[in-house]
Amino acid sequence: MDFGTIIAGILTLAILSFLYRDNPVYKMAESLLIGVSIGYFLVITWTNTLMDTMFEPLFAKGDLFLLIPLALGLLMFARFHQKTSWLAKIPIGFLIGSGAGVAIPAMLHARTLKQMSATVAPIISEGGLPNVGSIVVIVGVISTLTYFYFSREHKGALGKSARLGTFFLMVFFGTTFGYTVMSRMSTFIGRMEFLLADFLHLY
Amino acid sequence: MKRLEARHWTFIGLFLTIGITMLLNFRLDIPVSDRTRVLYDYIEQLPSGSTLIVSFDHEASSVPEIRPIALSILRHAFKKGHKLIGVALLAEGTLIGYRLMRQTAEEYGRVYGADYVYLGFRPQYIAAILSMGKSIRETYPQDYRGNDYDSLPMLRGIENYSDIAGVLSIADGSLTTHWIEYGRGRFDIPVAAGVTAAMVTTYDPYVASGQLDAMVGGLRGAAEYEQLIAREGGGIRGMLAQSSAHVYVVVLIIIGNIIHFASRRRRAA
Repeated sequence: MDFGTIIAGILTLAILSFLYRDNPVYKMAESLLIGVSIGYFLVITWTNTLMDTMFEPLFAKGDLFLLIPLALGLLMFARFHQKTSWLAKIPIGFLIGSGAGVAIPAMLHARTLKQMSATVAPIISEGGLPNVGSIVVIVGVISTLTYFYFSREHKGALGKSARLGTFFLMVFFGTTFGYTVMSRMSTFIGRMEFLLADFLHLY
Repeated sequence: MKRLEARHWTFIGLFLTIGITMLLNFRLDIPVSDRTRVLYDYIEQLPSGSTLIVSFDHEASSVPEIRPIALSILRHAFKKGHKLIGVALLAEGTLIGYRLMRQTAEEYGRVYGADYVYLGFRPQYIAAILSMGKSIRETYPQDYRGNDYDSLPMLRGIENYSDIAGVLSIADGSLTTHWIEYGRGRFDIPVAAGVTAAMVTTYDPYVASGQLDAMVGGLRGAAEYEQLIAREGGGIRGMLAQSSAHVYVVVLIIIGNIIHFASRRRRAA
């Protein structure tokens, strides 16, 4: 068994010890996880971001265009001084402006327009039979949207539609919760597999 | 020593249920869903030698669930002789992705630089996805190992997404959405995903609208995929444990309800 597996096994058991109660061994493992994660992130950011895309092209290849993002990046630190803090608004404005410009059309297209067009599917199939799936989708979308329509009191037909919408919402929440439980269980199973197979060699 | 409470017994029960099931390793036939088969068929039907981008868009905490999914997809792609370009949009996924690619490549005798390359992490995922659409070379002048882009034989002739057959996003969060919005939306590149179970309901609408070409979800998806490629990678055994854990939870719910109603009746009496 290699050294890394032994360390990983001990740390896994240390984290699982929290199930009994909070204890110093768990706290040590938790702090170690946070420290290692931040350290790893810093190293990756330094090597893959600052060195690869900024300092090396700027200083080794003389790409002077990179002085602009470098200056914008440095202006972020102006926030730390009261007199110069206004300068930080320049890169923040640039980030918000460019971010919104890039994101809004893409999100509108993928999350709204494409999804809307997918909702409007034929409710009668080619064979002349009703397309149950499409009908359920249309009813679900309309009733759920009416639930979030707050400009009129939910009475009469609007109230009934909104109530139907809550059932669709509950189905969604239930499914999402079920999948999330499954996901967390999978994480535990993954660690159990590591403990039983790699750490203890039981299979 | 602290006295064991009800929740401790619940954990012990779950621990034993999962542990015993994994050790016994019964045979469990898992029916393959259409959703998983679509991804399998997508990789299967690509001409051998097609170039795919595998994007490791996850953190370390989801590795137990992500690993079987990634292993199955990578094994299938390497078995079919596809060329793979590995990237990571989250810093934490960088090394994990590299190790998974190297492990599966070695299993099929694939050579680094000729059959697969690992380009590594780039920050600001939206910018990275858009930048690769313009030029992968400019986005990654060097690979993860420090080799120049042009020195890698596999990358000769690959400039941007027009030279790529598709993107496989291995994700535990919303990063696949960005591949859909910017990769597929802007550059019309096919996007498929292997995601954690918690993200399945997030991506289902994208599959339904045809924006996400295929998706494998959670340990169950991994187990199904393992059956399709006839190679176990932790998914099938994990799914066995998952099923027994679900039965255990259902039994606990029933017992909890019986105790609740019995105590209510006792109080009423």
